[in-house]
Amino acid sequence: MDFVFSQLAGFGHAFWALAIDPVTYLYLVSSVFLGITFGALPGLTATLAVTILTGFFGNKIPLDYALIALLGAYVGAIYGGSYPSILLNIPGTAASAATAMDGHPLAKAGRGGEALGLTTTASFIGTIIGTFALLIFVWVLLGISKNIASPEKALLALFGILLSGTLMSEDLVIKGWIAGLIGLAMAMVGLDPLLSEPRYTFGWSYLLSGFQVVPVLMGAFAVPQIIEGLRHVEVGQMAELKGRILPNLKAIRRYLPTITRSGVIGTGVGALPGVGEDVAGWVSYGVGKTVSKEGDKFGKGSTEGLLSSETANNACIGGALIPLLVLGIPGSPPAAALMGAFKINNVIPGPTIDPAIILRVVAILVLASFTMFIMGLFTARIFIKILKIPQTIFLPIVMVLTAIGSFSVGGGINDLYLMLGVGFVAYMMNLMKYPIAPLVIGVILGSLFDETFRRSLFLSDGDLSVFVSRPGAAILVALNVALIISQVPLAKRAFARMKGKTA
Amino acid sequence: MAPQQDETAVLRARDFWASLALIALSLFFLWKTSAIPLFGENRAGVSGADWYTSAALVPLGIFGGLFVLACILLSIAIRSGGAAHALSAVGIGWDRAEAQRFGTIAVMLFFYIAGLVPRVDFIIASGLLITAMIFGYHGGHARRALLSAAVVALAGAYALIAHGPQAEWNAHSDDWLTLFCWIGLTVPVLRASRQERVLRIVPLLAFFAPFILVCAMAFGFRQNVPARGGLFFKQIEYHYYVTLRPLWKD
Repeated sequence: MDFVFSQLAGFGHAFWALAIDPVTYLYLVSSVFLGITFGALPGLTATLAVTILTGFFGNKIPLDYALIALLGAYVGAIYGGSYPSILLNIPGTAASAATAMDGHPLAKAGRGGEALGLTTTASFIGTIIGTFALLIFVWVLLGISKNIASPEKALLALFGILLSGTLMSEDLVIKGWIAGLIGLAMAMVGLDPLLSEPRYTFGWSYLLSGFQVVPVLMGAFAVPQIIEGLRHVEVGQMAELKGRILPNLKAIRRYLPTITRSGVIGTGVGALPGVGEDVAGWVSYGVGKTVSKEGDKFGKGSTEGLLSSETANNACIGGALIPLLVLGIPGSPPAAALMGAFKINNVIPGPTIDPAIILRVVAILVLASFTMFIMGLFTARIFIKILKIPQTIFLPIVMVLTAIGSFSVGGGINDLYLMLGVGFVAYMMNLMKYPIAPLVIGVILGSLFDETFRRSLFLSDGDLSVFVSRPGAAILVALNVALIISQVPLAKRAFARMKGKTA
Repeated sequence: MAPQQDETAVLRARDFWASLALIALSLFFLWKTSAIPLFGENRAGVSGADWYTSAALVPLGIFGGLFVLACILLSIAIRSGGAAHALSAVGIGWDRAEAQRFGTIAVMLFFYIAGLVPRVDFIIASGLLITAMIFGYHGGHARRALLSAAVVALAGAYALIAHGPQAEWNAHSDDWLTLFCWIGLTVPVLRASRQERVLRIVPLLAFFAPFILVCAMAFGFRQNVPARGGLFFKQIEYHYYVTLRPLWKD
């Protein structure tokens, strides 16, 4: 209990320091507004918002302000996706796909205002749950992670890439793994971290320092989105917004257990490496439907269904930052973009991270969630108007923003070529239903995997048993193997038969 | 064929080609990796690294894994009929309109990034791109997209050909040509805006968006921006430091 109080005291100090700085609000309000705008416009995503702001603010302003801008946009965008989900039945972001199931029927039934009020409140509560889980668990895990050595780090990085590939695949799981391996392969370019041996540079000096993370992020997340978005998507038939946008306290009180459960699920899913808010929303929605007494109402305008998905996707934010801050492994695609921001500021997330940064991240998340809540209640009509802006007007400006952001981080034209190349490859991969998140996570974790894997062998004089002789490493080897085997068709069928027998 | 089956058939046909490309790519990089010393070596009498610290170790695993996964994908694609559909237009999901759309966007992005951004004033280059993209894709008019792509390609190709080497990036002839292209493309945009009111804001967006961005980046964040010697930016920078800044500095 003393530990919890000391954490809260530390958080209070960090919160106060940020709250009395007027510049905080300048970045906070503008970034949350931009985030909600990105979320509200179908085709623009939370990942894109964080990626573009990483390019624009990443290493140009003090880290605290950069984090305010990025986390504000992250929180805002995840929430903003609920607007088109409810009013247009088009999820603004993948995270809000489950929200559309009940949000749109509610809007069609003339309860759009109530639905938006509920999602605003649920998103706020969800973010707070995830944030406080981050505040408490990050320290517990940091304590554990101090005992993590090179073998565990290598296996954790591999597990993150494999898990992300497994869970993010829309088509075949193998495609997720291929994407992860392509990302790892990209990370191999440049001077190797132990011997400074040049690898795959083809005589181009620019490649000696490897692929820069920001142009890769921009290329992987922004360019395909822009190409896809220029497909001339007409804004659909918008449901009329009736009723005032106010938090329905009676419903919140009634469904408090649902909200709490969804917050916990969202945080848990977020803590899984590379999975993200969309999975959190669907998992929570599925669980809600299973355990609810009114499960049959889900999909027909159920308040409980709406709260299940919307609480979870925002709670996922705090969860996704746990593995990022503790291990340097991003818990979601936007967190991967955030990792890029840490990297270009020479901050290494992981066991050696400055604890003050974690406290500031928590304080920023709380401030961002309050800002989002206030904006959601009082400026919702502005975002509804923004919904009517065609993508064809917005996306060319996003392209220009991407170009200048990518150029300014490295200060060279080669970064733009890299961004464009990665962008076209990512678009092709999207066309063939390869998930992009594992690729980016592979690029980010590649050098960590390479370095720690070889260092483990170096310290054990080439003895491979170093990966099974330590308890933590052995568990991680088992997890990696189990994850791979679980996707083998033969094992899948055997597992299904076993389930059939026990049923 | 049901739509779902149809989509899967298209995917498997694409997977067939993708797996072949991945096999080729992984074999190529495995060959490239063979150039990195693996079992230690002697360089000028100094013993090199052991196999387990070799820079080739992890890449071998990665490209080996990629090769295996690509082979599995190939077998899945063949068993699902991907190879049978591989050469038919329907099989790979070829859609002329879609291909044209992607082609025009790719042309615009390529010439913008490779030709215009390094050489042409950022405001002019981005103004042309914004105008071309909005005019080309708003409303889904295929001919407009072709015209827009052609205009951007013309400006970009001229910049690439006329001022290819970095030593010539400060020349202004490509700035002027791009500016004329931008103005030229704005004329049909304004004409079309009689029917489509939303197009009226295009000239404003096309100028002010890159103008604000480049000024924020250069003077707000004090970062490097592309083509500092560009037609507009050179003047903006001069007047910022000579005319405006002394007002609050002194």
